[in-house]
Amino acid sequence: MKKITIANRNNATYEVKGNKPLLLELCSLGVDLPYGCQYGGCITCAAKLIKGKVDQKSQVALNNRQINDGYVILCVARAKTDCTFDIGVESHDKLYRNPFIDPLAPHELKADIASFREIKND
Amino acid sequence: MEGLCCGPGYASPSEAIRAPSEKLLYTIAIYTGTGIQKPDYLATIDVDPKSESYSKVIHRLEMPGIGDELHHMGWNACSSCHDDKSMSRRYLLVPGVRSNNIYVVDTATNPKVPRIQKIIQGTEIKTKTNLSGPHTVHCLGSEIIISFLGDAKGEAPGGYLHLNKDFEILGRWESSMGDILFSYDFWYQPRHNVMVSSEWAAPNTFMPGFDLEEVGHLKYGRRLHIWDFEKKRPIQTMYLGEDGLIPLEVKFLHNPNSSHGFCGAALSANVIHFWKTKNGSWEWEKIIDIDNEPHPDWPIPIPGVMSALLVSMDDKYLYINNWLHGDMRQYNITDPHNPVLTGQVWMGGLLGKAPIVNGVKIAGGPQMYQLSLDGKRMYVTTSLFSTWDNQFYPEIRTNGGVMLMIDCDVKNGGMKINEDFVVNFGNEPNGPSRCHESRYPGGDCTSDIWL
Repeated sequence: MKKITIANRNNATYEVKGNKPLLLELCSLGVDLPYGCQYGGCITCAAKLIKGKVDQKSQVALNNRQINDGYVILCVARAKTDCTFDIGVESHDKLYRNPFIDPLAPHELKADIASFREIKND
Repeated sequence: MEGLCCGPGYASPSEAIRAPSEKLLYTIAIYTGTGIQKPDYLATIDVDPKSESYSKVIHRLEMPGIGDELHHMGWNACSSCHDDKSMSRRYLLVPGVRSNNIYVVDTATNPKVPRIQKIIQGTEIKTKTNLSGPHTVHCLGSEIIISFLGDAKGEAPGGYLHLNKDFEILGRWESSMGDILFSYDFWYQPRHNVMVSSEWAAPNTFMPGFDLEEVGHLKYGRRLHIWDFEKKRPIQTMYLGEDGLIPLEVKFLHNPNSSHGFCGAALSANVIHFWKTKNGSWEWEKIIDIDNEPHPDWPIPIPGVMSALLVSMDDKYLYINNWLHGDMRQYNITDPHNPVLTGQVWMGGLLGKAPIVNGVKIAGGPQMYQLSLDGKRMYVTTSLFSTWDNQFYPEIRTNGGVMLMIDCDVKNGGMKINEDFVVNFGNEPNGPSRCHESRYPGGDCTSDIWL
């Protein structure tokens, strides 16, 4: 079993098995979470991982910057360890950005089109 | 003659123009992506100026679950069934872009209080047709086709769901998608045996939000497709290039004999005009080009984002919006090659031209609109799509969407925002929601097609 802590819900904790998507596991324990497509493509259920590890290989919605900022697509992500999250739109401060004012670098695009980051030798 | 003149809609566009004025509107409103854990709903809005509840939401039909993202919708029947007395314009088909569910809503039993008649489950659609991301709903005679932007996993190009008049899944409508890369909107003109379709992007690309870089990586559309409507397959591609980045809404003129049509390229903020030539092939040209506008906080000028487009029932006026600039425009298209700007109003937008309208602070810009059959009243809403709203107009979370009405001068041209009408979705009982597409019970300017 993995312990899931929801930091922005008064650090409420839940025990999950880790063999099903976190959205399913948490909803079945009574957590009220937003969701949309339920296949990892639409970002509605995104939460911010503060501590721990998840497997979200099948998500296709996040670009690399969002992943680096800790976002997790709960409808497909499974807990690999104990995890702490912020959930809901309160956790979306870095999820949405104006794409004209704040463009992505090539390595920050979605995985299928991102280029490898250039390593600079000083 | 037996069987004639008893079906839905009108015998011709000119008869539609003479129909009684609309008294009710159905408008979708969403909570998906807003942080409010409530279902999206279909709002009934009183638009009868003689009514005490004029300009108010008088009923809310909640969907059974959260997370649908209701977006566009369409009728089960239109004027294409006018000769069929067994049909009536009774049901609105309301798809959820994210859930894939399609709600069949009965609006006839009690027009002010519509109710869900049937739910076509998104999972059933995926299993039977490998489609997801529903968008445009059109009826063709007594059958219904709905464009979907992706396969069951959200990858392009999607295809078309075919339903019978009892809303049973018949399968895929098209016999081939040809080499089409993306799907979005479509419209057909039966007397020319033609359908035209446009391109947004794969659901997995546009649903999470807009990354500008993905345009350069060819993740967004830039083509229009001409179809052999009877053979249900694409026959000609019009590559629009930089002039046609993200071609969204596409309409033919209402005159069923005409082959002229228009498409709004959202990111290029251009209107593309297309028509059939004498030798039967199709040509296109750019007829309107909205300049990007400078903004002190933006490193590059702001594109208009022409997300919708509408033709008046008399085919005299073309209406377009610039969602990021904040203006609605009216063009006289009597000569479709040479449109003439005849009207313009401002509401919201990022240029700061009209931050407050009729006492309401506008979060967003003019986005979806529906025009009365007589062409005089245009109802405009401000939300585009939850994730895109969140990127460009984050304040819409707390302010919600707004519906305004524009009085349109059909004789001399001109537009003016009506001062007596405003529906502030920021004041909804469950918290600020966002309004998008509207339909009228008696038909409107984006529903009816004539055979």
